[in-house]
Amino acid sequence: MRLVLFMKKYRFILLAVFILTAMVQVFDLPLSETPLAGVQEVMASTEEAPPSAEKAAAPTEEGVDAAAVAYPPAPQLTEADYPQVKGVNGRVFIWLAAQLHLWFAAFVLAVPIFVFIIEAIGMATKNKKYDNMAYEFIKVSLTAYSVTAIFGGLLAFGLIIFYPDFFKYLASIFKESMIAYALIFFAESATLYIYYYGWKWLQGGFRKWVHLSLGLLLNAVGTTLMLLANSWVTFMMSPAGVDPKGAFLGDSWAVIHNFLWNPINLHRVIANIAYGGSVVGAYAAYKFLTSKTSEDRAHYDWMGYNANFIAIGALLPLPFAGYYLTAEIYAYSQQMGITLMGGVFAWLFIIQAVLIGALFLSANYYLWCGMGRSEGAVRYTKYLKYIAIAVVGAFLVWFTPHTLVLTNAELKSLGGPYHKYLGPLGIMPAKNTAVNIMILATFLSFMLYRRCNKVATVSWETSGNAAQVALFTAGIINILILGIYYGYFTNTVYKVAASIPQVCTTLAVIILSTVIDTLMYKGSKEVAPLKWGAVPDRAQYALFLLAVSFTWLMGLMGYVRSGIRQHWHVVDIMRDNSPDAFTPTLGFAANMVSAGTIIFMAIVIFIFWLAEISTKKTA
Amino acid sequence: MKKFFQVVGFSLFAIVAFALFANYGIPKINPAPPPVEEKVDLGAMTIESFIALGDRIFNGKGTCTLCHNAVGGRAPMLDSVAAKAGERVSDARYKGTATDSEGYIYESMVEPSAFVVVGFGKSGTNDTVSPMPNVSTGSIGLSDVELKAVVAYLQDKAGSDVTVEIPTEAPADEEQEEGAERVVAKTAEEVIENYGCTMCHKIAAGEGDMGPDLTKIGAAKSREYLRRAILDPNANIAVGFDPDMMPGDFGDQMAASELELLVKYMADSK
Amino acid sequence: MKIPKLLQALLVLVVVYVAFKIFFNVILGQLIPSSLLTMYMFFVICGVFMVFTATEEGARELVAPIKALVEDPSKKNIRNIVFIIIPLLIGGYVYQKMVPSFDAPIELRSIHPAPPSSLKAFGKRYDLMTLENPYRKFEKEDPEKFKELVKEGGAVYIKNCQFCHGDKLDGKGPYAAALNPLPLNFQDVGTIAQLQESYLFWRISTGGPGLPKEATPWLSSMPVWQDFLSEDEIWKVILFLYDYTGQSPRSWGESH
Repeated sequence: MRLVLFMKKYRFILLAVFILTAMVQVFDLPLSETPLAGVQEVMASTEEAPPSAEKAAAPTEEGVDAAAVAYPPAPQLTEADYPQVKGVNGRVFIWLAAQLHLWFAAFVLAVPIFVFIIEAIGMATKNKKYDNMAYEFIKVSLTAYSVTAIFGGLLAFGLIIFYPDFFKYLASIFKESMIAYALIFFAESATLYIYYYGWKWLQGGFRKWVHLSLGLLLNAVGTTLMLLANSWVTFMMSPAGVDPKGAFLGDSWAVIHNFLWNPINLHRVIANIAYGGSVVGAYAAYKFLTSKTSEDRAHYDWMGYNANFIAIGALLPLPFAGYYLTAEIYAYSQQMGITLMGGVFAWLFIIQAVLIGALFLSANYYLWCGMGRSEGAVRYTKYLKYIAIAVVGAFLVWFTPHTLVLTNAELKSLGGPYHKYLGPLGIMPAKNTAVNIMILATFLSFMLYRRCNKVATVSWETSGNAAQVALFTAGIINILILGIYYGYFTNTVYKVAASIPQVCTTLAVIILSTVIDTLMYKGSKEVAPLKWGAVPDRAQYALFLLAVSFTWLMGLMGYVRSGIRQHWHVVDIMRDNSPDAFTPTLGFAANMVSAGTIIFMAIVIFIFWLAEISTKKTA
Repeated sequence: MKKFFQVVGFSLFAIVAFALFANYGIPKINPAPPPVEEKVDLGAMTIESFIALGDRIFNGKGTCTLCHNAVGGRAPMLDSVAAKAGERVSDARYKGTATDSEGYIYESMVEPSAFVVVGFGKSGTNDTVSPMPNVSTGSIGLSDVELKAVVAYLQDKAGSDVTVEIPTEAPADEEQEEGAERVVAKTAEEVIENYGCTMCHKIAAGEGDMGPDLTKIGAAKSREYLRRAILDPNANIAVGFDPDMMPGDFGDQMAASELELLVKYMADSK
Repeated sequence: MKIPKLLQALLVLVVVYVAFKIFFNVILGQLIPSSLLTMYMFFVICGVFMVFTATEEGARELVAPIKALVEDPSKKNIRNIVFIIIPLLIGGYVYQKMVPSFDAPIELRSIHPAPPSSLKAFGKRYDLMTLENPYRKFEKEDPEKFKELVKEGGAVYIKNCQFCHGDKLDGKGPYAAALNPLPLNFQDVGTIAQLQESYLFWRISTGGPGLPKEATPWLSSMPVWQDFLSEDEIWKVILFLYDYTGQSPRSWGESH
């Protein structure tokens, strides 16, 4: 009898073993069979014949003739070609204008994406609450839209003043797309204004459908805008459609569709959504803190929760998109890849690790605090410490640098600069392992939060729970085994190979447990109505930290994305010969990013204030 | 208003904390300034200073040590490459045209895939394609003189005799805008024009008749054959023509990219 | 008795700190760098406080003692003591951080760099790919003579090398404590047992200044022995190193 009970209680162990075996069979075949051959297959399949720098830029048959007749090569500049304006550093001006333009643009482009989704949810659920929230979101982004345009103008102005020849060269290559950009920008403005000002007018029945379609159109136009601007940036990193001297070969699509275009597009779309969510979250948090009535508090709490949900939802896949982008940079040019991950910029990724840690920690903390909204939460609070151990533990690994900073005494004691046990934590397998576990733990936080207020009514509840525990256990064990095996026991060349099965494992765990959870809590009872607004102020500061860290992180990564071009305007084609062609130090970059973040935050607060007084007037 | 200042204070605190960490939490590193294109005074060079030039290029502008270092394992170490050149050029997998260590090292820099050391090829290519770029082009863009200096340096490093001769003077067309960097032709037509192929051959717009007609040469000969015919004209002499007519030094004059353009052009002339 | 939350939190932090120290310094035998430990502890503190303040009651319990300390009139004396100690601690920490020291800047260093394929020493050129110890053959051919050579090598070692590398060849000579990085320990299987005799010949004859850049020649205090010893003496001392430690040199056949 006792044995049966014991078996019942711990059946998740058996299940875990079973799932683990399945995972190993499906994802980690290289591990169970001949490791190296398998790994090579995996690696070969991820790299689809990357064109090297020369190949991408090599003249095509038809292009040769066109270049010979129509387009001049990229100009070779000297210091004298860069106008100096007394008292203004051209690069700093461009840097700030570009970065602020990007922050606002990211925000303005992201908000319509989830406003569209929220509006659709509102239509599907017939819940007016969603529609109101969507309207409030778009209102916040409207003022930001004109600020985006202002900084875009400043950026173009700065380029013409400080880098006239470079701008002329880019403009000559992207003639069509720049004109298209201007036209689409007008289309974007028109759509946005109709979408916003027509919100109240286009309500109900068919009109609402028209409005929703407008939202879709707005997103389509906005995304096109971003893709065009991305192509200019990626052209500077991975030029295509020009010959080795920079003469345009006449194919406009080839220069747009350069090697890094799609990786950047993917990364930016996901990051924009997360970023937009976090900024709107900060807005809701501010309104929450300053609201006087409990209805307002409830409303903004709910809004903040949704914004945070959007931010975390987009944050979870972001490391994978970043990984893909980095892999593609390596594939395009090994030299650029090494510049990115080694040398000066290696330490940038330690700062990045700290910021990403701050993002994950504050996102988790917000969810934990949010459990206070439910009376059923006490059932789960005891598990929080384990999630915290997993998140912090994974984060410590994520943060450990490859090159340790050692005092001379420590150096002496270790006998050399290499640490036998901490050294492997500095390389990719350990980082991948850590980030996968961090994602799983954050997802677990979210699942617990969702469950807080629910009591399952299905008969197989305990089995379902056992299955989920088993799933997570097996997933984490699998990720750990892969990480340890590839981190400590294989050759450098194969160290990245673990990432794919690890990501597969994480995704499988997330998808399967969501399915189980959804089925299990179908028709579940509520413990008590959720008390929206019953959240401590601390949680709101977590939302602020999320927004600030995100902004700062974007600025920092903008620096490195641009920095890996080193002293080139267009890599390998057009050299930057201005006095500012050198790579600034990390500290300087951090100060620039901080200054930019402060300007951005100040303007954002101003916009929030505007949104507030406009509400007062209409109210 | 109190909340407003609290929020602003909190945000500022977070930003300042990040900035402080970035400034003081990690080691300070000053990135290397952009490489300066060096002007080389070849007349005043001794072989030692030429080797030293190669050293500077190898460790600096050439960015060779990014990959060819003892730590990363991304590329083979080069400290004994000169000594190993002999066995490499006689290796069955060798695809290049060099016969000695000087030629082999030079070729390995402009045509890295000619021989790929086992284990260092691009993944999935079974060591037939090298991940290394042609260092005479692109962002590294070493000139012929610089490449030769690197060869001298590597020969010296390996302890072999340095066989490279210091180029006495840069060829006339090299003294262009950027020191010793020469303008490399971008199209096959330019190559043909620059090297005067049409004086003897029927090729492109040329009507020469001292050498074989090359307008349909691609149909009959492989690229390897054509490349050799340029680099070593006496290896095979077409029926009806005399040996020693064609200059044998195109291999020294042409950039590798020009050679390849020309070979491709001829191979496609069918 | 229930432990107050604040104390619980502090206890957890102390336990984690000590655990890090013990785990790395004692169990693994490789100490944890203080810079890293500081950052680790910073985030552990964040994590601990996040857990303790996740619920409203938890947060209240955690700050209750602090609140009481600041606000409760009856705790005046403790308050005054705390308010003096905390600034002093901060001041002490700042002093520790800012006080100038004589520590050299930190460099990255590879311990056994790849050797060149040939070497110029004693005015000759040696091909390191094929170079062998001329006396090694006597180990089999003439054990008596070999013993004699080893003994001569030992004399050379005692006169020249033991000051740093130690009379037991364990890198603990009388001068060793003054050197950083430490002199190599020949007893360790990771040193001469991994190397060929020609490598030792290269390292001994050209010393620290002969190291390639990645091995930071400016950090090595190994003299250039070709200026002080003869070629013969170097070969003999190499025989002694292997003989005394019981190691055998790495043989030819495999190249790096």
